This record gives sequence, structure tokens and C-alpha cells, in this order.
Amino acid sequence: MNTTHIIGVFDSKSDLLAGIESAKSKNITIDEIYTPYPVMEAIDALGRKSRFTTAAFIYGFAAVVGVLSFLYYTSVIDWPINYGGKPTNAFPSFIIITLVLTILSITILSLFTFSVRAKIYPGKKYILPDERSTDDKFIILFDKKTAGAGFEAISATLKANGASEVYEKEV
Amino acid sequence: MYKAEVRGPLILGNKDYGQITRDIIAPIDNKTPGWWKVAMAVSITLASIGIFSLYYTVRYGLGTWAVNNSVAWGWEIINFVWWIGIGHAGTAFSIFLLILRQKWRTSINRAAEAMTVFAVMCAAIFPAIHMGRVWLAFYIFPYPNTRGPLWVNFNSPLFWDFIAISAYLLISASFWYFGMVPDFASIRDKAKTKAKKAIYGMLAFGWTGSTKEWLRYEGLSYVLGGIAAVLVVSVHSIVSTDFASSVIPGWHTTLFPPYFVVGAIFSGFAMVMTLMIVIRKYYHLEDYVTDSHLNAIAKILVFISLIMGTAYTTEVFMAWYSGNPYEMFTFFHNRLTGDYSFMFWAMVICNAVIPQVMWSKKVRSNITALFIISLIINLGMWYERFNIVVTSLSKDYLPSSWTTYSPTWVEIGIYIGTIGIFTIGVLFFFRFIPMIAISEVKSVLKPTEISEKH
Repeated sequence: MNTTHIIGVFDSKSDLLAGIESAKSKNITIDEIYTPYPVMEAIDALGRKSRFTTAAFIYGFAAVVGVLSFLYYTSVIDWPINYGGKPTNAFPSFIIITLVLTILSITILSLFTFSVRAKIYPGKKYILPDERSTDDKFIILFDKKTAGAGFEAISATLKANGASEVYEKEV
Repeated sequence: MYKAEVRGPLILGNKDYGQITRDIIAPIDNKTPGWWKVAMAVSITLASIGIFSLYYTVRYGLGTWAVNNSVAWGWEIINFVWWIGIGHAGTAFSIFLLILRQKWRTSINRAAEAMTVFAVMCAAIFPAIHMGRVWLAFYIFPYPNTRGPLWVNFNSPLFWDFIAISAYLLISASFWYFGMVPDFASIRDKAKTKAKKAIYGMLAFGWTGSTKEWLRYEGLSYVLGGIAAVLVVSVHSIVSTDFASSVIPGWHTTLFPPYFVVGAIFSGFAMVMTLMIVIRKYYHLEDYVTDSHLNAIAKILVFISLIMGTAYTTEVFMAWYSGNPYEMFTFFHNRLTGDYSFMFWAMVICNAVIPQVMWSKKVRSNITALFIISLIINLGMWYERFNIVVTSLSKDYLPSSWTTYSPTWVEIGIYIGTIGIFTIGVLFFFRFIPMIAISEVKSVLKPTEISEKH
């Protein structure tokens, strides 16, 4: 369902940061920020946190345990082979293959996690409030219902802090 | 003092964000240039020669190659190691320079990663076809089967290689692709035709550039970057253990893993240099791939060249110092002198001597000289692999099994074919994909503005 949004357009990162700062100081709730490249300050301003690295560590740990168990199963339980009396659980020579298979597992699972969490996948129907944000503009999006201020107030605040344009749109 | 600029501006020409998008997607919007069509025709011809040679090998068997009981690994393994080496540059650029926070990588990493993907694909052809019955290649997958039920040998470097290369291909291709997603979205949103909007829209996976997406995107790049750094080192170390875990004189040495990894990065960086000079010249991207970028790559090449020289010297020294007569024979009578001495000296001159001219700033700022040196290094790295593979195998412990080796047309044809496949990939990349990472370049546009704030 489309709702009315207020869109603030900025030409540079420093203007965008000033705009975010001013909106926050007036207790105006920002819905989302769209930038042509990653702006960490904008991400922090929205209080967004990612547990991506923790997830990757868990994947890695699970993969190490999984691969070593698999190697133990194949080499000791399922089909032990006697190479001149050497132990069937040839652990040190399992290390390299474990490392590589762990990396492979982390890669596949991380890509999957990224796709699910960031909702980036083939054929996705996307909503982009202002197409210029993938080119040269920095966009702040306010939901009119939840922003906590009207169009006039938001527009005045943003324009006083470097916004090149402020307009309303159904998104 | 703290405001002194260590490196000049990374992007020249006072660009704004919009100009960067327009400049980089211009080759995609413009008409296909004439030289591109000629290059594509040549590449298709080369690839066809390769495909025919592959067909001939499959049809008549490995007897069509010159490999024999002594020199069981010939051009195929040389070319495999050569391509894998070239394929290391993309990840080396993207990952090592990402981890080291080297912002100048942003103009180059996309092309380097593209090169990695195509080079690794070419490399993978060789071990597959070397199996003899390539249609049974699936035997190498570790799954419960009806042939024993034996498992594959998990302790074999050859199996490690298979897994490492598969992982490397997947990780470098996904790193490359996900790096392109924001740029595909830029093209989508600037597209003038419906077809273009639809195609690039599909490739962009619905990217919008919201903080939610950028946060995870950054998380993904650092996770993939961190683990790929380990992979870069381990892939070529594993390739080297294919050799080093044998008992052949000249191969059985602990020097091999670092020697191979550094050599791989050396040839990869040289290929990056070749490619960036071509991109710069033919697409007029001098403001993005500046003299300073080429200068930086040249400095890295000089440094790595010194390591290569040290490795060559260490190998010869250790052969003498070990007192092992077989090692001594291999190095002093079958490399420095003997049937293949040309290959040894060509390797030393191309990799350790000629790159030293890049100590001179004059040479580093001469694009033609850099282009020629980058080609010489890649030639030298090919000689190095020939030197390693063939000399050690041709004369090992038993003089009765000594033999010489020179390739047949089929082997040469397969190699030529992979060059064609590689250049087809690179040409498609030039034509349809933004050659420079648009969003990353934008992020380094005004470093002064950012540093002043802190």
C-alpha cells in the first residue's frame, strides 16, 4: 500500500550528514536513507546494526566441525584404508581440505544470508523513491504519518541544512 | 604536517558524482567500436582452434599429446599453473588492498576481478582434460558411490586442488558480481531503452542503495574479503604441493608454497597492468586509471620481482647446499645449463632482471615501456612454469627413462584456445559491464572533505 512520503534530496555527503543531524535534533523520524555509495554515518544515524560477521563465524565453526566429522566418517568408519600401518585418522593432512571446504561453506552461506537479509535476489520488485539516488543524489525519506512533523517543517529544516530539493511523493 | 597529501587525488578532472556515472557507463551506451569487433573475431578464431584441439583430444585420447611416461605433465599443467597465477591478481587487488585500506584500488579492482574469473575458468579446463576421460570427471566428487564404495583420497593435493579451485572460482565470481550490483542499478536507472532497463534491472537484483542494503553489502564484502585472503594464499600453496609433495628433484622443496603464491601475484599484477593500459587507452579513462595508479602497480612489481629473484637464487643455493647429487644435477646440469637452459635464463631475465628497470621513475611514467614490461613478465612466468614442470620430469633418477619433451599441435592449440576464451570474456566485460566500480570510485572522490571532518 502506497503512503505519502517526504523526500529530501542532497547533492553531497556533507550536506546529507547535516540534514540527518538537523532532522534528528528536531526529533523528526527518518524512514530510510538512499545513497550512491555506502555512507557509514548514515547507517549509524538510523541505528542499524548487522550481525553478519557473527553469522559468518558460526558458519565457519559449524563447517569445521562438519568437515572434520565427515572426514573421520569416510576415513575411519566407512572405508578405512591401511597405508603401511599409518593411522586411519590422518588428522594433520585433513587440515588443508578442512580449511578450503570451510571457506567454501562460509562463502555459500554468507551469500545466502546477504540475499535473505538485504532482500537482494533476482526478480525482486523494488521501490526506489528517487532514481537519482543510484547516480549522484543522496536521499532522505520520511514517512508522513510517522515522521512527527509536517511537510513545511521538514522542508524548512532540510533546506536550511543544504537540501537541494524537498518534495512529497506516494511511495 | 598531518594535512600533507601522501597520494594525490585518486580521480582527476574535477568530476562530480553524475559525471563519474556517465563516464563509466559511456562504453556500454556507445556503439560497439570497430577495434572491438576485430578483436572479438580474432578471439573467436583462437577459441575455435582450442575447441577443435579439445575435441581432437577427447576423440583420439591423450596419445595426441607429447606427454609420455617421464614427462607426464606437459603444457597442460604449465598452462594450468600459469592461468591460475594470472587469476590471483583480482583477489590480490580486491582483498589485500581492501584489507590494507588502499583506496587507489577502486579504479582497478573491477577489471582485475573480471580477469580472475576468466583466467580461473581457463585454468580449470587443463586438469579436467588431463584426466583423459573428461566425461568421467564427476568421479572426483566425494559422494557415496557404487564403485567400491571408495571415497576420493582426501589427503591428496590433487583433490585439494579441485576443491580449492572450485571454491576460488565461486568466491571470486560472487565477489565480482555482488560488487557490480549497485553499478547495475545505476545503469538501470539511467537506461533510455526498455530492454536495457529490463536486462540491467534483472542483473541489479532490485538494488536501491538503502542503508539496510549498504550495511549488509559492506558486511558481505568484508566477510568474503577476509576469507578470500586466506583462500588466495592457500589455492596457490595447494597448487605448489601438487609438485612439492612428490619426490622429484627440483620439486621436493619447502620453498614452493610461498614461491608459487608470490609468483602468482606477480603474473597477476602484470596482467592487470596490461589490461588497465588497454582500458585506459581505448576507453579514454585516463582520469580514473591515472599515471599514479600505474606507477603504484609498477612499484609493487619491482618489489615482487626482487622476491622472485631471491627465490630463484635460493633454489639454486639450496640445491648446492643440500649436497644432494640429484638436486645438484637438476639445477646445475638441467636448468642453468643443458637442454632447457634457455628456459631458465629467459625466466631469470624476464622476471628478475628486466622489471628492475622500473626503479627509474622515467620508465614508470612511460606507458609503452610499462605495457611491454608487463607482457615480458607474463612471458617470463610462463617460462618459469615450463622450467619447473619439464626440466624436473625429463631427467629424474633413472637415466634410462630420460627423455625430452616438446608439445604437439594439439597441446599448443588448447593453449591458444584458452587465450581466445579469456579475451572473449574480457571483451564482453569491456562492452557490457562497467569497467570501473562506480560506487566505490564515488566513495573516494573527495578524501579531503572526509579527512577535514575528523
